Amino acid sequence: MNFKRRLVSITSCVGLLACAWVTGAAAQGTATAPAAAATPAASPPTSGTPLPDTPPADFKTLDEEVQGMKKDVIDLNKDLFVLQEELLFPSNTQVAVYVSMDVGTFFALDSVTLKIDNKEVKNYLYTAREADALLKGGVQEIYLGNLKVGKHELVAFFTGKGPVERDYKRGATAVFIKGVGAKYLELKITDRVTKHQPEFKIKDWE
Amino acid sequence: MPRVAPNLRLLCALVGCAWFASAFGAAAPSLLGKDAPDFALKGLDGKNLRLSEFRGQVVLLNFWARWVSGSREELSALDRINTTYHRAGLVVLGISVDEDAPRARDFATAMKVRYPILFDTSPDIGRDYLLEKMPVTLLVDRTGVVRYASVGFKRGDERAYLDQIRELLRE
Repeated sequence: MNFKRRLVSITSCVGLLACAWVTGAAAQGTATAPAAAATPAASPPTSGTPLPDTPPADFKTLDEEVQGMKKDVIDLNKDLFVLQEELLFPSNTQVAVYVSMDVGTFFALDSVTLKIDNKEVKNYLYTAREADALLKGGVQEIYLGNLKVGKHELVAFFTGKGPVERDYKRGATAVFIKGVGAKYLELKITDRVTKHQPEFKIKDWE
Repeated sequence: MPRVAPNLRLLCALVGCAWFASAFGAAAPSLLGKDAPDFALKGLDGKNLRLSEFRGQVVLLNFWARWVSGSREELSALDRINTTYHRAGLVVLGISVDEDAPRARDFATAMKVRYPILFDTSPDIGRDYLLEKMPVTLLVDRTGVVRYASVGFKRGDERAYLDQIRELLRE
């Protein structure tokens, strides 16, 4: 009988110890889980983690600085160009000649030769692309130079293909007076529909 | 006699230096690393071409004259290069600096090359490109800078051109 009681008491003790161990282990597990969950947040993101869309602030400011510097360089270049123009071609002696072309059905431009006061100052060959640009409304500055105040003569020779693909060479002359300010002249190539011929004029922009 | 020997040696040294300077100057024209001067010239087909319109492509400029020995060989070699590399972005421009333009035209027509042949009748381009000897071949990169220059032509020179062309096309 004593033996039976002892066996029951030992069994109940083992059972209590086992319960206590299981409960302790469970309590330990719940205590370590938050720590384990907190660890990945502190560590660097793995490859599967998506990267943020916006660049870091440092890169953004650097990019803005580079863009600002580029703008400054462009502005400086513009100022230098204007200064150079003013120094090389002061307005009191400046003469600029422009070329424009309208329609161009009766004339395909090949070259323009300019003579001022019987001296050749420019001979310009036009490529197909340049002639197309003129036909689309482009205006070309063909000559920029200096002339003293007074009376001058401009002669322009135009070569190209005329009606029916024939070689065509025509001239236009203008006498102009260079005043104190800058002088602008325009060589205008237009179509004279009534005569089926091109027309070459020199316009003096007062 | 002892006075003559040093003078003779000095003369020889001067001649040697002059030859070396001229040879080196011809082989390395001072346009290297600089922007190729722009020009517009009339071609064999009557069309005008402007160098700056080929910006973005590798351009081989070959200045030649009918009277230069080896012109036929060089034009044929350049025609083969043009055929192979034209689709890869190479533009070959032959520029005749012959004063006798009609005969130069006949020569170019007879050669039947498939790349544009342009005719320079004014001295401006020769002056801009510092042409002193013929023929001269220049390679202009995609940004318009002269990257290679060669004066004269002998068989096998086209291999050197090809090495440079491949390098510039890869850039």
